[in-house]
Amino acid sequence: MTEHALNVIAARKTFFPGTADEKIALNDLSLSLAAGDFGIIIGSNGAGKSTMLNAISGALPLDSGQVLINGQDVTRTSVDRRAKHVARVFQDPMKGTAASMTIAENMLLAEMRQSPATLHKGLTKARRDRYRDLLAQLHLGLEDRLETQVSLLSGGQRQSLSLVMAVSGEPDLLLLDEHTAALDPRTAAIVLDATMRAVEALKLTTLMVTHNMQHAIDYGTRIIMLDAGRVKSDISGAAKAKCTVQSLVDQFAHKSDHMLLGA
Amino acid sequence: MDVFNLFLSLVPVTLAQSLILSFVVLAVMIPFRILSFPDLTSEGSYPLGGCVCAVALLAGIPPLLALALAAAAGFLAGVVTAVIHLRFRIHTLLAGILVTTMLYSINLRVMGKANLPIFGEAKIYDFFPFDLGSINYTKIIIAGLFALLVFVMLNLWFRTERGIAMRAVGSNPDMSEAQGISVWKATIGGVGMAGAFAAIGGGLMVQSQGFSDANMGLGILINALAALMIGEALVGKQTITRQLAAPFVGAFAYYQLISLCLAAGLPPSDLKIATGVFVLLMLAGPELRRAKGPRAAQEAFRE
Repeated sequence: MTEHALNVIAARKTFFPGTADEKIALNDLSLSLAAGDFGIIIGSNGAGKSTMLNAISGALPLDSGQVLINGQDVTRTSVDRRAKHVARVFQDPMKGTAASMTIAENMLLAEMRQSPATLHKGLTKARRDRYRDLLAQLHLGLEDRLETQVSLLSGGQRQSLSLVMAVSGEPDLLLLDEHTAALDPRTAAIVLDATMRAVEALKLTTLMVTHNMQHAIDYGTRIIMLDAGRVKSDISGAAKAKCTVQSLVDQFAHKSDHMLLGA
Repeated sequence: MDVFNLFLSLVPVTLAQSLILSFVVLAVMIPFRILSFPDLTSEGSYPLGGCVCAVALLAGIPPLLALALAAAAGFLAGVVTAVIHLRFRIHTLLAGILVTTMLYSINLRVMGKANLPIFGEAKIYDFFPFDLGSINYTKIIIAGLFALLVFVMLNLWFRTERGIAMRAVGSNPDMSEAQGISVWKATIGGVGMAGAFAAIGGGLMVQSQGFSDANMGLGILINALAALMIGEALVGKQTITRQLAAPFVGAFAYYQLISLCLAAGLPPSDLKIATGVFVLLMLAGPELRRAKGPRAAQEAFRE
């Protein structure tokens, strides 16, 4: 096997096994990303998108199957030990930041993914300067508010901060879980634009979950559609360029989704 | 005027007491405020520290080392509480109550009886080279030096990378884990640290009063909580320095309030209800002031 940035091999996860609520969330799902791939994950509710991201980040242990990052088996590796490779931005802006801590402290926490915490002073002058430069690229004025508690920021500002934190340290794998879905359209556009610039500049291997078909068409190098815990289709290259919102929506299995997404 | 004179005459005693209590207040504050891990273990680790310290002194161990042994025992008690919560997903408060209950038996085992006098042994307060006329002043200086040292050390610690990581676990455990921080290590370290501080408080108290008692922890938690609430009301908790100062300021203010109640003629048996009322007032105050405005966001604690 050639070395991939990510291999998910026959991943299986069943919720509430043996009960009436039993649900197979991942049904022997397999997926590979080459380094630099930017996969857009689409699929109806319950298709297994979030479960798959949770399995990749380590938040959810698999029943069976494997997760390999850069060829290294991390199936049994805990979230904090995978953090060196994987960065994630959640849909909920509250989830990706430590609210009671300052912007600078949050930036430092992100840095700890790459270098484990030591007994040295945390916020040195050099670090503050670096954080100021990184945040200035967002053009949100966060660079002048390093000592502000994150709880005082708006959802959009918090999500932008989460993004800067996630891409700092150039993770091997960036997971974006509908990270603009909770934002107003203008803020969502700013965060999405910042995302694309960062992914492009740093050539990050990325998986982005979205319900926005236009985004799936406009961005990324692959469209990966999940259905019932499996990859239903994987479109890239010329085929991806030919996709339209309607052609994607037509692939959704359920009628209700047609109505929702086609509208 | 009599009340005021009596109050003033009590200040040296209450100041020494409050410096010792401030360690227990720290032991309540660190899990509660920094780790979002409301913890009752100090009700057991405080007497544990006292018992271990007394037994160590009677065995001829020097006072400072006896205090270190007490701290180690308290650390262990905190670790047990943390592990019970982390491993078995038992609510933090229940985990603390379980450990406190079990510690009562352990404390009796350690001492061999319910009360252990150590009047004849060398104390940490004996090391002060000058005679200030009253042992209370010596206690204030020794306990004060300890408190100052701990305050400075904690201020430094919570600014190191590891200290910041520990605070992050309290602020957002899932996010911390995603940044490569071990929630287990931070929680065990923090709650253990708190247990050590409570035990140091117990050790300092035992050496101050000249005996150790299995029941000396009774109600210490609510005293510490009252002190913390008062301290936070006075100095706030917006920055880590203020949050760390609150236990010391609060312990001082709390004992002055109690002393004022005593000087005013309140019988000691009524002090518990007075303490309860202080806590209620401190907790209800912000809520009453906000009554007309929008509700404040509930703080999220681990369950």
